[in-house]
Amino acid sequence: MSSLEIRDVRKSYGAAHILKGINIGINSGDFLVLVGPSGCGKSTLLNMIAGLDTITSGELLIDGKVMNDVHPSQRDIAMVFQSYALYPNMSVEKNISFGLEMRKMPKAEIDKRVADVSQMLQIQPLLKRKPSQLSGGQRQRVAMGRALVREPKIFLFDEPLSNLDAKLRVDMRTEIKKLHQRLGSTIVYVTHDQIEAMTLATKIAIMKAGVLQQLGSPDEVYNAPANMFVASFMGSPSMNLIPSKLVMQDGKLTASVKLKSGQELFLPLAENAAYNAWQGKEVILGLRPEAITDPGSAEATSKLLHQADVLIDVVEPTGADIYARMELNGQDTVGRMRANCGAIAKQNAPVTFNMQQAVLFDPKTEERIS
Amino acid sequence: MSTTTVRSGGDWLRQFLPRLVLAPSFAITLVFVYGFIIYTGYISVSKSKMLPNLDFVGLDNYRKLWKTLNWQVALDNLAIFGILYIVICGALGLFLAILLDQKIRGEGFLRPIYLYPMALSFVVTGTAWKWFLNPGLGLEKTMHDWGWASFKFDWLINPDMAIYTVVIAGVWQSSGFVMAMFLAGLRGVDEEQLKAAQLDGASTFQTYWRIIIPQLRAVFLSAFVVLAHMAIKAYDLVVALTGGGPGNATEVPATFMYSYTFTRNQMGVGAASAMIMLMTIAAIIVPYLYAETREARHE
Ligand SMILES: Nc1ncnc2c1ncn2[C@@H]1O[C@H](COP(=O)(O)OP(=O)(O)OP(=O)(O)O)[C@@H](O)[C@H]1O
Ligand SMILES: [Mg+2]
Repeated sequence: MSSLEIRDVRKSYGAAHILKGINIGINSGDFLVLVGPSGCGKSTLLNMIAGLDTITSGELLIDGKVMNDVHPSQRDIAMVFQSYALYPNMSVEKNISFGLEMRKMPKAEIDKRVADVSQMLQIQPLLKRKPSQLSGGQRQRVAMGRALVREPKIFLFDEPLSNLDAKLRVDMRTEIKKLHQRLGSTIVYVTHDQIEAMTLATKIAIMKAGVLQQLGSPDEVYNAPANMFVASFMGSPSMNLIPSKLVMQDGKLTASVKLKSGQELFLPLAENAAYNAWQGKEVILGLRPEAITDPGSAEATSKLLHQADVLIDVVEPTGADIYARMELNGQDTVGRMRANCGAIAKQNAPVTFNMQQAVLFDPKTEERIS
Repeated sequence: MSTTTVRSGGDWLRQFLPRLVLAPSFAITLVFVYGFIIYTGYISVSKSKMLPNLDFVGLDNYRKLWKTLNWQVALDNLAIFGILYIVICGALGLFLAILLDQKIRGEGFLRPIYLYPMALSFVVTGTAWKWFLNPGLGLEKTMHDWGWASFKFDWLINPDMAIYTVVIAGVWQSSGFVMAMFLAGLRGVDEEQLKAAQLDGASTFQTYWRIIIPQLRAVFLSAFVVLAHMAIKAYDLVVALTGGGPGNATEVPATFMYSYTFTRNQMGVGAASAMIMLMTIAAIIVPYLYAETREARHE
């Protein structure tokens, strides 16, 4: 359990600049999830935290101590790899105990720790097997066991669940969450999975091309994305980004949106001093699909509901909900509605816009206006 | 109607063309390899001396073979050569592979240097080493010329040591190949396992000893099988390097087989020694092939 601080860390391979000055600080017990498109440098950053890769410039601190030149084995960090990286020639038991053995821990202590961990992960019956005799999920547990048994300061996970099938992934996700709550350990976790990021994280760091886009709680990055990239990257389906113009209507600032029918909607905006400067100008209106819904599902406590009849182009059922597609200002937009709300393709349906959740972006810088 | 005949004709062709194409080579292999193995087998239980003679004499030739002093010498030499050749090639090959695996610069330059000897035939290797080790021509003379008058390296003409020169030349030729096999094996080990080992606190030595080398079992086995059968079949190297001499000091089963069959008018005994060699190689290779095919089916 330890704090981790990454100060202006850069990484270049020759002329290729992979990480361009990353600043992240997390406290002891935090669960930091790194997300971002493929190749943005997540694994590179993780390897640098572990010490498996050198830092070109910047500082890495664990518990306030600079770790740049400390050997990986001395950093007291354990890592769970995407491929699990179990040693195929060793039994599960040996795999788990290897790190302790290398650290010259007394045999009795090793046995006790292996027993504890294998009980916690329920892998006692597998201890004598070789990794090749295990299923994907079991291998994943063993890989976690190998990390847990070390009781390190920080855990690193590099897409640990990406090789599992959907059902198992959900189960393991829950278990990792429980484990984190029980042990209170500091974790850095890389994933491609939105839901994994949202459910596990206490802090999410979104990266793009080696640049940190936003660092914040899941709630912050979801509801107050720093820029349009974060807005469209987090959440599925992603946030609707509708070009719109801010106009005064009845003495209040609104976002104007034209429907296919030609009718113009004036969607009310929350009070925000920063918006005033944008009056009469083009902005990008960001609305989550759940903020565009049927009147019955709309958040009753919201003070900024606006209802209108909108032509629904396509209806996509997903079970409990349907995704209704419509055109706003020529932009294909998704709303999320109850399955039985009665929306039918090619017909008008009543739609409620929850403008409390709306965010505005500067179309040039793509930054959020706030 | 006509289209069906055409199609069935095409089907027939498609079905039989591969067999048709393979048939000649199959027939040639059948006759010249397996046919002659059987023929040799029969010669080994016949009264053949200078020429084949089909009179059956049971296991007489085998009894004679095991009483022949030369054959005992050949077996002793094979034991010395075979064990040293396999062990040293294996150890040296692994060692070189581990050195090259350290991602040193110039690997692309070094690897072919180690591999080139394999491109030479054993005859060339043997001849080159014969000159190099010849006390009047090679290493010893050079040292004397340079002023190191007491330098002495006469293994090539020393009956007690001559077999070790065969080992030296054989190792020189083959260890690069073994290195390449091990290097491929080392490179096949999952990168993330090595990272995991680093985080687990394993030293470089422990990483190789506990994690990487145990994963090279298949490579060890392949290297052993390749080297073992090369050792048993070793003929050209010995002929070129020592000619079996001095005296019969470097006689090996293959040279024994040749001289008894073709120059000493003991065709039956020669055939018997050939059968023994065949069975020894079969004893090594058949289990290997069996294990390989079974593994392939498992995949
Ligand atoms: N050894 C290297 N030499 C040069 N470039 C490298 C090296 N290792 C990684 N890169 C580059 O660094 C970038 C970041 O790689 P990294 O593995 O960190 O991506 P990632 O965010 O983990 O992607 P993914 O989600 O696909 O795993 C990539 O563009 C990659 O090509
Ligand atoms: Mg990665």
